[in-house]
Amino acid sequence: MTGERAQRERLRDLAVFERLNGNPGKTSPTLAVKKFCRTIATKHTQASDVRPLPVLEETLNYLLNLLDSMEHPFEVVHDFIFDRTRSIRQDLSMQNIINDQTIHMYEEMVKFHIISHHKLLTCSNRPNFSSVHYLNMEQLKKCLTSLYALYEENRDSNSIYENEPEFRSFHVLLHLGSNSQPLGESLSLWLSHVPSAILKSEEMFFARRLLRFFRMGNYKRFLCTTATEASCLQFYIIEPYINEVRALALSCVNSCGYIHHPYPIAHLSKLLMMKELDVEPFCNACGLKISTDEQGNKFLATKQKIFHYSKDVFPSYCLLGLEHFER
Amino acid sequence: MAYLSMGEAHRRITEYLNRFSDVVLNQDGSSLKQLLSVSSNSPLLLSLADALNLFHDYNRLLKQSDRFSQISEIVSPLFRSIQNFRLGNLLDSYNAFEKAANAFLQEFRNWESAWALEALYVIAYEIRVLAERADRELASVGKTPEKLKGAGSFLMKVFGVLAGKGPKRVGALYVTCQLFKVYFKLGTVHLCRSVIRSIETARIFDFEEFPVRDKVTYMYYTGRLEVFNENFPAADQKLSYALTHCNPHREANIRMILKYLIPVKLSVGVLPKNWLLEKYNLIEITYSNVVQALKRGDLRLLRHALQDHEDRFLRSGVYLVLEKLELQVYQRLVKKIYIIQKQKDPSKAHQIKLEVIVKALKWLEMDMDVDEVECIMSILIYKNLMKGYFAHKSKVVVLSKQDPFPKLNGKPVNS
Repeated sequence: MTGERAQRERLRDLAVFERLNGNPGKTSPTLAVKKFCRTIATKHTQASDVRPLPVLEETLNYLLNLLDSMEHPFEVVHDFIFDRTRSIRQDLSMQNIINDQTIHMYEEMVKFHIISHHKLLTCSNRPNFSSVHYLNMEQLKKCLTSLYALYEENRDSNSIYENEPEFRSFHVLLHLGSNSQPLGESLSLWLSHVPSAILKSEEMFFARRLLRFFRMGNYKRFLCTTATEASCLQFYIIEPYINEVRALALSCVNSCGYIHHPYPIAHLSKLLMMKELDVEPFCNACGLKISTDEQGNKFLATKQKIFHYSKDVFPSYCLLGLEHFER
Repeated sequence: MAYLSMGEAHRRITEYLNRFSDVVLNQDGSSLKQLLSVSSNSPLLLSLADALNLFHDYNRLLKQSDRFSQISEIVSPLFRSIQNFRLGNLLDSYNAFEKAANAFLQEFRNWESAWALEALYVIAYEIRVLAERADRELASVGKTPEKLKGAGSFLMKVFGVLAGKGPKRVGALYVTCQLFKVYFKLGTVHLCRSVIRSIETARIFDFEEFPVRDKVTYMYYTGRLEVFNENFPAADQKLSYALTHCNPHREANIRMILKYLIPVKLSVGVLPKNWLLEKYNLIEITYSNVVQALKRGDLRLLRHALQDHEDRFLRSGVYLVLEKLELQVYQRLVKKIYIIQKQKDPSKAHQIKLEVIVKALKWLEMDMDVDEVECIMSILIYKNLMKGYFAHKSKVVVLSKQDPFPKLNGKPVNS
C-alpha cells in the first residue's frame, strides 16, 4: 500500500477518515485504507499488492467501527466504507479464499449494506440520493450472491451455517415488490436449489410467508407478521414495501368499503399499524380526505374518486411494534 | 460366458471396421447410427466390446488398410470408449468418446448433404448420457464433476455447425433440446437463453420445418422456463402446444408435460377433468388434493397439500404457482356459503356476515379474526374475484346481485 499511499498523498486523494490531523495531503499507515480499483489486471498484480486474510479482517473491523461515528454525515461514512469494503472483497476474490473467516466477513459486509439501505432513506433530500441508494442495493446483491456461493463451496456434508437461514431469507425478501427478477434469476429456480434444512428454518419460513401475503394482497397479515416476527435486518429490507402495502390497504378500503360506513381512523391506525397521528397525513399524501364528526372522531369516507400512490414520495412512517428498529 | 478366441475377436473387429467403412461410403445414415450408440448395450456393441477387451492391438488393424484411413480418427477413440464402457470405466469411456465425437463432427462438416444427421443425433445423445455417467463416477470418488459441462460445450459446437443455410439446419432443434437437458441437469438454465434466441430470431430457421418430436420437446423445456419465470400465459401456451402435439402413446412424456401444465392451468382457473388425472395417475397423487381444495373452497386442504409435497413442488419450480391459488380457494369458500344461504333465504343470500366466514374458517382449523376476514374480502373484491362491497360497521360483506363471482376466463388473478 506504500506506493498507493504516497501517490494519493500527492494527489490529495484522501478521505476524511484517512487524513492525519485533518490534513488533506497527509496520511499514515494506520489511517490509510486501500481503495477499490476498477481496472485491476491480475497479471500486473504482485503478491505484495494483495492483502492477506488477517490484514483484511483487521481492516474490515476498523471500517465497521466507523459506522457509529457521529462526527460526519452518514453519506460520507457510507461512501468511505462502501468503497473500502469493495476493495476488501476484491482482494479476497483474487486470492480465492474460501473458509469460515471469509464467510463471516461477507456476512458483516452484507449487514453494512442493509444498514445503509435503511439509513440512506433518511438522506433522501440530498442530491444523488437515488443513485447512492441504487448502487448500495447493487453491491448488497453482489455480496449476497458471493456469500451464497461461499456457503455452498465451504459446506461439509449437510451442515448449515449459523447465520445462513437469516442471510438466505434476505434473498426471498428482496423479491417483494413488482420487480420480478431483481437478482437476475427466478426465485422459483433459486428456491429449487436451496438445501432442505434451510428451507425449513424459521427465517425462511417467515420470508416465504411474507412474500405470499404480499403477492396475495393480504395487507393485514403482512403488516402484523412483519411487526411480530421480523429481525432488525429483515425489517430494513422489508421497510420500503411497508408503505406500498399500506397504500394498497387504503385503496382497498376506499374502493370496496360501503359508502355509508366511513372507516374510523382509530381502526385504520390498527390496520395500517401506524400511529393515529400519522394516519391523516398518510391518507392526504394518497389524495384521500379525512372527515370529522360532531364528536370530533375522525373518519375516512370511502368511494373517494382521487387516489394516487408513488413510492418515491413518502417518508417512512414507523411500524407500530417495531419502533426500536428505527434508529 | 462363451469362450472367445483371438481369431473370433479379430474377426468381429474387422467386420465392424468393414461395416463402418461401407456405411460411410454408401452414405447410409440409419446404419451408421447403430454403430455409434455406446451406452445402448446393443448385442452388436457388446460383442464388439468383448472382442476389443481381448484383442488390444486393434489400432494395428486400423493402420493395416487404406480403406480405414478416413474413419480411423473417429473409430480409434470410439473403440476405446466402447471398451471402457464395457469395463465400467465411465470417465475413460467419456473422454475417449469426446475425441471420437470431435473427429466425427470434423468429417460431418465435409459431407455436403444431411445424410449423416441421424448419426449426429446419436452422437449428441451419447455424449450427454456418457458425460452424466462420468460425472457420477467422479462425484462418487469425491472429485468435481465437470464432464457434463464439457459435453455442453461440444453440443454448442454442433449447433454452430448446423446453423447454416443448407439442409443440415433441421437438426438444430434436436441439438438444442439436448442442450436444454444438459443445462437443466446442471442447474445453469440461464444458458438456455442464447440458444433460444438463436432458434427464435435467426432468419435461417423456420420453426415449422423442424420435426414434430423436436418441437414438442422444445416447447416443453421453454414452457418450463416460463414457469420458473412466472410468465404463466406464455407457459400455458407452450406447454399446451407440447401436449397437443405429443404422440399420445408416449405416456411418460405426457405425464411430464402435465406435471407443469396442470398448476399453470389451475392458476388461471381451469380445472383438469377427472379422467385426465386418473389416466396419468402419477399426477393424481400430487395434484388431486390441490384440485379438490379448489373445488371445495377448502383452505386447509390446500395448505396441507402444499406442505406434504413441498420438496417436490419446490424442486420442480411449481410451488409459487400453487401458492397463488389461495385467493381462488377463498372465493370458492365464500361462494359455497352464498349458495347455502340462497337455499335458506334467497332474498338475504347476498349479505354474508363476516362472523359466518370466521366460523367456516374455524371449522377448517384456520384461525382468522374478523379484521383479517374483512381484509380478505376487500382483496377479493379489489381483484375482481367478487363483486360487491364490505360494510365495516355492520361487519357484513354485501355481494352484487348479478354475477357476484366472476370467472377468471383464462386470465391470471389481477395483481
